[in-house]
Amino acid sequence: MRLEGEGPSGGAERVPRLAPGCDPARLSLTPAEGYLLSRIDGATPLSLLRQIAALPPAEVDRCLERWVKEGVVEWSGSGARFGAAPAARAPVAPASRPAAQGIDPSLDLPVEMQQRVIEFEALLDRPYHQILGVAPDADPKTIKQAYFGLSKQFHPDRYFRRNLGPYAPRIESIFKKVLEAYELLSDPATRAEVQRDLAAAAPEAAPGPAAASAASGAKAAPDPAAARRLRARMHGLARHRRAFEERKRKAKAFFESGMSAFKKERWLEAAGSVRLAIAFDPQNEAYKAAFSDVQRKAHEERARALLKEADGAYQLGDYRDAFRLYDEALHYRPFDAELSHKTARLAWKLGSDLRKAKDCAMAACELAPDNPGYRRTLGQIYKAAGLFANAKRELQTALRLDPSDAESRQELKTL
Amino acid sequence: MSRVIGIDLGTTNSCVAIIENAQPSVIPNAGGYKTTPSMFAVTQDGKRLVGHLAKRQAITNARNTVYASKRLIGRRFEDPEVQKCIELCPYSIVRGQNDDPRLEVSGKAFTCTEIASIILREMKRVAEEYLGEPVQEAVITVPAYFNDPQRQCTKDAGRIAGLEVLRIINEPTAAALAYGFGKKADEKVAVYDLGGGTFDISVLEMSQGVIEVLATAGNTFLGGEDFDRRVVNWLIERFQQTDGIDLRGDAMALQRLKDAAEKAKCDLSQREAVEINLPFIASDANGPRHLSIELTREILEGLVHDIVNETLKTVERCMSDAGLGAKDVDQVILVGGQTRMPLVQQAVADYFGKRPHKGVNPDEVVAVGASIQGEALTAEDQNLLLLDVTPLSLGIATFGGHFAKLIERNTTVPVRKAHIFTTTRDNQTAVKIRVLQGESEIAAENDLLGEFVLTGIRRAPKGEPEIEVSFDIDANGIVSVSARDLETGKEQSITVNATGTLDEGEIQQIIEEHELYEVQAKA
Repeated sequence: MRLEGEGPSGGAERVPRLAPGCDPARLSLTPAEGYLLSRIDGATPLSLLRQIAALPPAEVDRCLERWVKEGVVEWSGSGARFGAAPAARAPVAPASRPAAQGIDPSLDLPVEMQQRVIEFEALLDRPYHQILGVAPDADPKTIKQAYFGLSKQFHPDRYFRRNLGPYAPRIESIFKKVLEAYELLSDPATRAEVQRDLAAAAPEAAPGPAAASAASGAKAAPDPAAARRLRARMHGLARHRRAFEERKRKAKAFFESGMSAFKKERWLEAAGSVRLAIAFDPQNEAYKAAFSDVQRKAHEERARALLKEADGAYQLGDYRDAFRLYDEALHYRPFDAELSHKTARLAWKLGSDLRKAKDCAMAACELAPDNPGYRRTLGQIYKAAGLFANAKRELQTALRLDPSDAESRQELKTL
Repeated sequence: MSRVIGIDLGTTNSCVAIIENAQPSVIPNAGGYKTTPSMFAVTQDGKRLVGHLAKRQAITNARNTVYASKRLIGRRFEDPEVQKCIELCPYSIVRGQNDDPRLEVSGKAFTCTEIASIILREMKRVAEEYLGEPVQEAVITVPAYFNDPQRQCTKDAGRIAGLEVLRIINEPTAAALAYGFGKKADEKVAVYDLGGGTFDISVLEMSQGVIEVLATAGNTFLGGEDFDRRVVNWLIERFQQTDGIDLRGDAMALQRLKDAAEKAKCDLSQREAVEINLPFIASDANGPRHLSIELTREILEGLVHDIVNETLKTVERCMSDAGLGAKDVDQVILVGGQTRMPLVQQAVADYFGKRPHKGVNPDEVVAVGASIQGEALTAEDQNLLLLDVTPLSLGIATFGGHFAKLIERNTTVPVRKAHIFTTTRDNQTAVKIRVLQGESEIAAENDLLGEFVLTGIRRAPKGEPEIEVSFDIDANGIVSVSARDLETGKEQSITVNATGTLDEGEIQQIIEEHELYEVQAKA
């Protein structure tokens, strides 16, 4: 995870990442395994995962081996993602948007559409009218319009010969489900049946498939073929309901484990678990509400750890690493002017990315407009970038704020 | 990037179109005609002719000139329709090694796929000459009622002609695409397509740039050529009455009669009566005989009105499939040259209670629609989406030789449908899944696409095990079928490959032969 293989532990460190397009919600995991999965962000190396997981190291290895075999996880190449500034922002995305796992910008499918696919997949277990996004009593015209609208998004012909990677079969599956919903709801006969089944299945969660098929069996007794058809349909519905209940149950288990971690102040673990709970039950507002608290705490903890590591690297003279770690910490502490300033100075001194240096220095100045030191740094960075007019302006501001600032005076002279 | 052409591979005429500057345009051939006869001939000295050149010499070289071979493509030799053609066509039709009809031209037996490829190659050439660049990709149209082998043969023909066939789409659907191109309105459209060899009727709904096929019906063996044939038979009978000579056995006379009948039929769309003059049509002991008969529009209408009525029955069936009444249709589009006939236009107008749409050219609209679909698939900025359908029902054979349909014809693709089946005997541990395609209730009357066996079912009283059979059709029309024992989770599946009448080896062989011929022709 060190830039261009430099630094103390550069080299053969193995780093797992989520395979593009994998949906963690499809796996059957214990909360501890789920937590481990949530830690895999393409940056955290295996050695660290063994330490932070709630599982014994051997178990961590076993899980990873299994996920690699199942195609959920793959070993990533060495720290390429730290090569450029935008990639360094990557750790933030999975933290703030649980469903963003599996997004692959290299595919010939806009990232927003990938996001849309992931969101829509979570809907597929729901009642048919919700799949189409219409009211349960929607009229045929509305149903058709919804179907046409969704077809325009999910019909595979829209993406003819494009490289969709794992999204191709997923988009096709979504379209098939949308079509099924449309067909069942646009025919008055099947629609009535769907509504009756829904009414029978909906209240007080899962009376169980046995009860449901007994009820339909009684109704359809005179005609064996019709009974079988009904049973098939009931079977499909029961299976949906079971899958849905199963997801909710898993979500609850993750949430509870997350909350207990929260109480023990294990913020990172708590955030990971709650995130998984939301992935399994995206409609649950309580989970989402809890997540923002947990996430804030987790960010604080993550930032603390990063800063500690960064200070250590700085003292050892490993400036490149220190810069990277400060920069990452900045994502969790965007309000920290001193951190911004520190990052800016490091970027400037390293000379590798003056634009980054300028952005950080500006951020510091915005957060603390009256700090002459920050102004001076910004001025110096402008100067290094050859933007002398801007440099002059900032250095003059610094001098105005602190007339005793000899360094700024000196810099102005040499402009 | 090479551009996608749309080809209407017609029974009598073919047409090619392309999208230029966001507008579809029909490409004229070297002679300036926008349609090219679907004809192929080999001359006495072994030269191969296609299109207008083949048509021009058809009379003097009737036995070695092939037309309307689309009627035979993808069929078996025993097919009654093939037998009917054998009786009527001047060229000879022989049984091929795959039990397919082959057309003997100048001593060589051509498969129908090969003939189609020759015509497609010609259309490709027309487009390339016009564009000044190579063309590699095409969308080709077929009648809505073409079955899988017929579609696959057409696709194979494209491949032999050096084209990658992006899609095979239905002719009436293509016509609707052409009509709907650039329109914002929500409309229900009926496409009445009476071409040279086939009749199709489709009802489509368009809204928000999406086109959905509501229903399709048709008859693969009813078209403009039946009108011609009625006229030819009438002429033969009249001539036999007046001159006592039966012209049926004379290939050259038949070809002349056919040409004259077609021309008279077309002329009668504008005029009330025409004179058919065929000097020296035959000769006997008394010397040469000339045919000179007057045909009026009234006589013509009397000869064919039952064919027109037949089409209306099909229309009726289609409308009821779509769940619509005649007045629910906002627009009627006429496709195919035969719809120029006043009798046909009147019949359609009477049925729907409105005049048909005049804005489209019935000979060109299908090719235009094909090019629009090519563009819709490949363009960056797509604003038209066709929800295409599967042409025939799919299902499995069940106890007692019945056919259980899982996917009804005209179902939008891609689609997945599943159904629970059970055992029919006590302690049955295996079931055979036979995948069928067709419309008959009786399993044996449908086409067998493939079969497989699911074993390891728990011994149980009959009717107890639950076996879920699911059918999947992907966006390219590939069908896969799986059976799963819900109790044990055991699963078996197959992917059904569409096959034409030629196997891969034969296709490759023909491609090589044609390459050889191309080189010869250039030399």
